[in-house]
Amino acid sequence: MFFRQPQRPDPDRDLVSQAQHGDTRAFDALIIKYGDKLYGLVYNMTSHKEDTHDLLQNIFARAYQSLGKFRGQSSFYTWIYQIAVNQTLNFLKKRKRRAGVSLDDPESSAADDPGLVDTAHAANPEQQSNLNELHKRLNEAMRSLSNSHRTVVAMFDIQGMPHGEIAKVLRISEGTVRSRLHYAHQQLQSFLQECWEQRF
Amino acid sequence: MKPSIERIGSLLALKRTERPEEGYWQDFLCEFHQRQREEVAKRRTFSGLCERTTDWFSELGGAKWLHGAGLAYAMLMAALLVIPRGVEVEVVPLVPVNHRMT
Repeated sequence: MFFRQPQRPDPDRDLVSQAQHGDTRAFDALIIKYGDKLYGLVYNMTSHKEDTHDLLQNIFARAYQSLGKFRGQSSFYTWIYQIAVNQTLNFLKKRKRRAGVSLDDPESSAADDPGLVDTAHAANPEQQSNLNELHKRLNEAMRSLSNSHRTVVAMFDIQGMPHGEIAKVLRISEGTVRSRLHYAHQQLQSFLQECWEQRF
Repeated sequence: MKPSIERIGSLLALKRTERPEEGYWQDFLCEFHQRQREEVAKRRTFSGLCERTTDWFSELGGAKWLHGAGLAYAMLMAALLVIPRGVEVEVVPLVPVNHRMT
């Protein structure tokens, strides 16, 4: 006899309930709580800061309007994450591909991003410069992927979601998730090969 | 030599720390509240109703074609019922002529 693991209670249950009863501050708290994660997801899918901002406004607006329909069958985070992925994919289908200006914008260069400083090479400027160049190439490589492949890379490699969770959000099989990741990794490897040989 | 998958994974994982700038979320919330107020005002207008209908239709995905076909069929049936079918002509029954030889 197999026992199903009891579902963990949603940590946002109280906030969601308050928001459903009209407490806007409760919904604000949910935005603050999950904003950074959703920002990372949308930004890595679109590679564009302005589009990310507009999409996030639409995503949270959609979530707020649909809050009455949320029944708690999944966690609030999974639910809003799904809205974010669907909205972003719909946007990407409509948008003509354009250069991700923000990522190469001198105001937000890889060199300035504390998250991209490799502490192991921090004392070595040449190594750090190589790393920055590699990150630029990595961003270009990400943009070269199709929307569906970029999405799984953003969710698995960048956001750290397990395969099963990705499959649930995207409503595809786990096997499809794995095969898309495999293909995307191969594409990234080929794209970065030249840069890698020159720098390392 | 290609970078290993693990190395690519490590590089991608560094992007996990990407964040918007300081104060972003405070400004975001101000804009969000403003949009909500505008949305409430817009819902009360006819254009808001049209916009919501369009949004609903576009979210149907593949089913929108079925809905559209169903709507077109319903309108066609309604038109056929409402539009007059033409003038009714009274048919006079034919009576055989009695030719009497006198």
